[in-house]
Amino acid sequence: MKLQAFLDGELPAREAREILTWTQRDREASSLLAELRNTRQALAKSEPHLSLPESREFFWSKIEREIQRLEPHPVAAPPPSGFAALRRWFFPAAAVSALVIAGMIAYFQAPTAAVQTVADADAPTVETTLANSDATTYRDASEGTTLVLFSYAVDNSPVKNKKPTAIN
Amino acid sequence: MSGMNYSASADDALVKAARQGELAAFEELVFRHRDQIYARAFSMTRHEEDAVDLSQEAWIKGWQRLGQFQGDSSFTTWMTRIVINLCLDHLRKQRRHRTDSIEELDEDSGGVERQMPVVTVNPTAGLERAELRKKIDGALGQLTAEHHTVLVLHEFEDMDYKTIAKTVGCSMGTVMSRLFYARRKMAALLADVRKES
Repeated sequence: MKLQAFLDGELPAREAREILTWTQRDREASSLLAELRNTRQALAKSEPHLSLPESREFFWSKIEREIQRLEPHPVAAPPPSGFAALRRWFFPAAAVSALVIAGMIAYFQAPTAAVQTVADADAPTVETTLANSDATTYRDASEGTTLVLFSYAVDNSPVKNKKPTAIN
Repeated sequence: MSGMNYSASADDALVKAARQGELAAFEELVFRHRDQIYARAFSMTRHEEDAVDLSQEAWIKGWQRLGQFQGDSSFTTWMTRIVINLCLDHLRKQRRHRTDSIEELDEDSGGVERQMPVVTVNPTAGLERAELRKKIDGALGQLTAEHHTVLVLHEFEDMDYKTIAKTVGCSMGTVMSRLFYARRKMAALLADVRKES
């Protein structure tokens, strides 16, 4: 095996010189070295050329299917830059904070705002003026009209009718 | 999807695009090097179906590990290392399920390769390249997995003893012993082939 190591250049220089001297003196060693060298040379230039016994499409389709099954693939992304980190964390955090603040403002100011909005828009409103009186008021500022609806029983009938009364 | 012309791009550019998630770039790499990766898998396993499956598995692992590819070696060298490792795992599993062959027992008992007569004539001299390849392939097929693995790693992958030992997971002495046996056996097989022809 020292002969082989010599052939493969795996021996230190001193040992290599000793082996060389030995092969020059010993015919059997020389023959064995020649055999090992021939085999190595034959192999070095003769790796069999083989082709995959499947079509490109078929082979790739199997790989692609498996890759898609295993997605998301862990391809390394480049490390984020300072601005990218800011964009990634700060902007979403700022957006969430803004939404929370807006929600709180809307919550605490909602009744006032609603009244003001309705009044400003001059839009008709419907309100129950007396909660237990079955009277409902319809007020349209733009038309200058107010309707009050009263509900009451007629002739002991269980059905309640509403009669509009116009007030100008 | 970029406007990249995949077939006209170098491997490095395709690897870069594939790292960004472009599957079409990776497909081009598979198309270019599939035969080479398959050939290595076949030379290690000597089994066509296993070689197809293992080379396919190697490509999938390659895609998954693209982020680890540093570009220290070529892409094909990197892929070849992946398929070699998969083949070695495969061979280890197979070995657990089979009884030792007579050749392995001979190797373990030591010295059968030393008793072989030396082949004094170069058995491959004068052979055409294609014919030589065919004969080498046939002879490789007659070696055990342990022997042709070491031979393939040394002769085709240019690995030194230490690297083979690390890759295969054995001592350097075992590598040297297996390599010596494999070469002597190859010489004898090639000599027989020459006599027959």
